Order: sequence, then structure tokens, then C-alpha cells
Amino acid sequence: MSLYAFIRSDQGRTVPFVAQNDKNKELLEMSVEDALIRMGDEKPIHYIQQLNRDSARMGEEMVKYGRLLDKSNRRISKFFLCTDCHNLQKESADPSNESPEAVIKYGMEHHLPFLPGSTFYGMYNKRHWYNGDYQKKYGDLVRPSKDSLVNAIQLCATQCSQGREMTDWEIRCVLHYYKSLEYRIGDLFFRKDEVNKLQKMLTGNNAGAIKLIKTKYHEANKATFGTSKIPEIANYQPKLENGEYIYTNGCLHCHSVNREITNFDLGDNKLSYKFLNGKLYAYNQFSISHITRYGTYAVNGRKQYMPQYSMENMSDEQLLDLIHFIKTKAEE
Amino acid sequence: MKTLYVTLLALLCLSPAFGQDSSKVKSPAVADSAKVLAPLVYETFSGTRVLCNHSTEMLPKRQMEFIVAHKFGDILTRNAAGNIAPNITDWFGFDNLADVRIAFEYGITDNLNIGLGRSKGVGVTRQVVDAYGKYRIFQQRESGMPFSLAYVSSLILPYAKATTDSTSVSSYPRFIHRFTFTNQFLISRKFGERFSLQINAGYNHRNFVAYNDVNGVLFAGISSRLRVTKNIGVIVEYNHQFLRPEEVVHYNPLSFGIELLTGGHSFIIGYSNAQGLNENIFIPGTTSNWLDGQFRIGFSITRRFKV
Repeated sequence: MSLYAFIRSDQGRTVPFVAQNDKNKELLEMSVEDALIRMGDEKPIHYIQQLNRDSARMGEEMVKYGRLLDKSNRRISKFFLCTDCHNLQKESADPSNESPEAVIKYGMEHHLPFLPGSTFYGMYNKRHWYNGDYQKKYGDLVRPSKDSLVNAIQLCATQCSQGREMTDWEIRCVLHYYKSLEYRIGDLFFRKDEVNKLQKMLTGNNAGAIKLIKTKYHEANKATFGTSKIPEIANYQPKLENGEYIYTNGCLHCHSVNREITNFDLGDNKLSYKFLNGKLYAYNQFSISHITRYGTYAVNGRKQYMPQYSMENMSDEQLLDLIHFIKTKAEE
Repeated sequence: MKTLYVTLLALLCLSPAFGQDSSKVKSPAVADSAKVLAPLVYETFSGTRVLCNHSTEMLPKRQMEFIVAHKFGDILTRNAAGNIAPNITDWFGFDNLADVRIAFEYGITDNLNIGLGRSKGVGVTRQVVDAYGKYRIFQQRESGMPFSLAYVSSLILPYAKATTDSTSVSSYPRFIHRFTFTNQFLISRKFGERFSLQINAGYNHRNFVAYNDVNGVLFAGISSRLRVTKNIGVIVEYNHQFLRPEEVVHYNPLSFGIELLTGGHSFIIGYSNAQGLNENIFIPGTTSNWLDGQFRIGFSITRRFKV
């Protein structure tokens, strides 16, 4: 336990843990789960004691390409890949702050897609999935998935990606891939006073240390669905660069003509901007605010659908940024 | 005509100033790859057909397209006095279906498509099964490759019972006589985000023709599309036959159309003097003349599926 010497000279600033010596370097690479279990925390249902690199590689192939590259299994979905909606990297500098503002700032710095799904980085460390308003969308289907990552993966395969049920070994491989993307101690941000507090706790108060570590990331991502109304925020000046980033790295992530994810193609061109600008106030799926907040649903003959951005994935301010960008480009 | 084609070909190849703006690339991943090859240009046309003839557009790998197309009878006709008048008798052609075609097309790879269709047929060419294979040799890029080039090979097999009239082209003395083949090259270029132009040239071969006709017909055509809005475009398509005997009644198919795109679906409404819906029929088999009011309304509906 003495390994947990979180040392930073910064006065009260939130900073990631930085190794000071070889021993601490080992600690830096230690997974958050291992650390918690060493302190006596309860193992999760999907606990994996030892990462199997080969299984993780197969899981990675299914996540990125929808099937194994040697084609020894069937495609999970012919409509979507996991990476159409989920990033595989950290989406914010500080895992305890995954606000839309933090995500867009980090995403712009690292050129990440701006997607409606939660990142798979740290997904292994969550304890609850399909939270909040997802029950409004999927009803009772989310109940078995709320506390089980295995069931959440299955729900994502069959409902979100409109694909087939995954077999046990496929889910196991994806779990191993998730484990390879779990949080490391070095990913978490501690203040200096917390470091001192944690050091004291570690000598005799493991429960307190567990609690403190768990404040450094989210065990569940909230989901609040908005309405199709264009937000009204007094005195808010929309940011053009944010809007451009969301359009390019969000909308075009799926709607670029060469992506073949959706049948509705958009581009960085006048025709697209004028079309979207003309539909801004419509109450249908071509209206930016409507489609962003409501998405669409899969129906027979048209399984491709658009998932909505929850308020936790795109703030009202960012929605205004996006609308402002489209309006500006259409009127140029 | 030759001068026209040479000029258009030169226009296609030597007009980088009207090409795509490579500065529009925003994604760093794409920008990195642009150092090697410039991004490809997509949506030169809205579908695998311009109006009736093929375009250089391809179905992506593992996508299937379902096509239903109709052409009706003449909108105008000549009355008893010999003047052109509305074809009220057939309600502007709606009561006299010229041709109907149902087809499935499939993308084996992004650059190789196949298709199988069935149509009513025109004239004595009845109950027609058609098939084609199309390969895209080049695809236009924002810089470096100024045009797209594709090759299409298609055939039709009319399986209607052969007539006993040995002077008819539908008497089909041997099974092989039923076949008609068309091979053509398509070359296209997208100029900016609104205007696209395609030139095609090829050879049509009918295995069995009338005594005064020729089996082989060389042809060349020009097609164009102008996008008025994101979802609405205007299309024109023309094919010209060469070395066809004067005494054989034939006209060159000229068509105009409007396309409406809804995402996954496309509707094309067109006017044409050609009755057929397959290039093996409408290129050598058009016997209607625009100037005699012998043009008709037609439409096609396409729907794409992932398989």
C-alpha cells in the first residue's frame, strides 16, 4: 500500500499522477481495478483476473471491423461498427470530468471523433450502463443491462447496431479488449491535498481510499435526452470553431458520402449547408435540433438509424454552436 | 460530331480549375492520406444510372440496389388531320405501357458490380432477361485523377416464344440468335459540387437483325447532371448511333429527367423518345421521334440495402 505515494508539488492543482521513481512507474501502469481489489473492493461481475492478449486482439477486431479479420465468424452487424458511435481513446483529460465542454476541448486537441456513445476507454471500470433516459428508448430491454457489462454488450449488438446476438466467446473477447482499455492509476487526477489524505487513508482506512479513488472517474454515465426545440440561452455567443468541429467530427463521421454508414449523405459543401439551414425549424429528422436530440429508430427495411446525442454528450450550447456554424456556412 | 466529342474529352481532362477544392479536407486522418493520394470524388451521379444508361457510379461492396422502372406510351400523337395533338385516347400514354423493368444490382467490390433484371421488352423483343457487369477502372480524385472511367458489358435474352414468321427478327432460328450485347466505356467528371458530365462510347451487337439492318452498331453518348439543390437534380442523356443504314427506321435516344433523392431512395422522372429501359434495347431499338410527339414519361425508383 505504500506504493500509493501520489506526489505532486503543485499547490492544490488537479493534476494527473506522475511517477517519481521506478516503483512509482509500476504504480502508474497499475490498473485502477487491481488497485481497488488490492484494497479490498468488491470484484465486478465481469471481473477478468488476467488479460489474455490474444482474446483482446480478437475483441479489438470485432469492435473495429465487426468480425474477426480471418473471417472465421459472421459479421455482428451489417449496418454498424462499434467505432461508428464509440471512441476507443480517452475523451477528456480528467476522467472525473466528462462534461461535453471537457470532451470537446480534449477532442479538438487530439482530433477525436465527436460521437454520441460513451468511449470504450474505461468502459471496463463502469458499473452501470444504459442509464437514465435510455429506459425511455429501450424500455425493459435495458433492465438486464443496467448492472451487467456482458448484457450491455449484447444489447448494443442486437439493438444499437441492429445485429445478431454475440456468442459467449465473442463477448468474452470484447471484455478482454475492454480490459486492455481500462483506466490506469496514471489516468486519474488527484489534488495535492487528496494525495496527502489518500496516503493517510491507505495505512488504515482502505474504504476511504477506495471511495476517494472512485471519485476520480465515473462508474456510470448519465443520459438525459433533450427536446427538439432549438435551445434558448440568454447572452450566449455561439462558437464557430466548436460548431465546425462538431459538424466535421460528429455529423460527417457517419454522414460523409464515402462512409457508407447512412443513406443520408452530407459534406463540407454549400448544398449540404443550405439544405440543413433550410430545415432548421422543421419538425422532422432533417432539422438539426430534432435529429440531434431525438435521433431516429430502426424500422423494417431501414435498419440504419441515428442515435441521439444526450445532454451529457452534446450540451445545448454546443448544439447552438453547431447551428451557428451551419447557418454561417449556408449564408456565406 | 467528332469535333464535339474531341472538345468535350479535352474539357474533361484539362479543367483542373473547376475540380474539387482539396482545401475542404478537414480530418487529419484524411489529410495525412492526401499526401499520398488526393481524396476521391464521390456522387458524380446519384446512382448507377444517369437516366437509363449506366453511370460511372458504383454500388459499394455488399450493397444491393433494387430498381423498378417504367416507361409509358406517347404523350402526344398525330390526329386524323396529321397534326400533333395530345394523346387523349391513351391518356397521355398512361394506358399504353412501353416497358417495365425490375432489377437487382449488387456490389461485389467497390469497383465491380453485377446486375440482373427482367423487363417486358419493346417491339418484337419481348420477355427480356438482362444482365451486366461493370468495372470501374479509375475514380476521380480531387487532384491527380481528373475523371472516372468505367467499363460495362451487358446482354439481353428475350425468351418469348419464337414466331413462325421466318422474316421476323423474333423468329430466332437458333437460340444464340436471341442475344444482344453491349460493351461500352464511360468517362465522367464532376465539376464542382453541382455539375457532372459523362461521355460514353461503345459497341452494340445484335445476333439476329432484319435483312436490311446491320448486326453491329457503334454508338457514343453524352450525359449530364445539374444539382439544383442537395436533393433535386436535372439530368439529360443522349446516345448517337453511327453507321446505321438509312433505310432502317431508327432514332437516337434523347432523354431529360428530374431526380429526387431522399436518402437510400431515389426517384427519377424523365421524358424520352426511347421506349426501352435497357441499353441493349433503347440504343439500337428506338423508333420514336421527339418531333412527331413520340416521347413519353417514365420513372425509376431505386432502393439500396446492405446485405
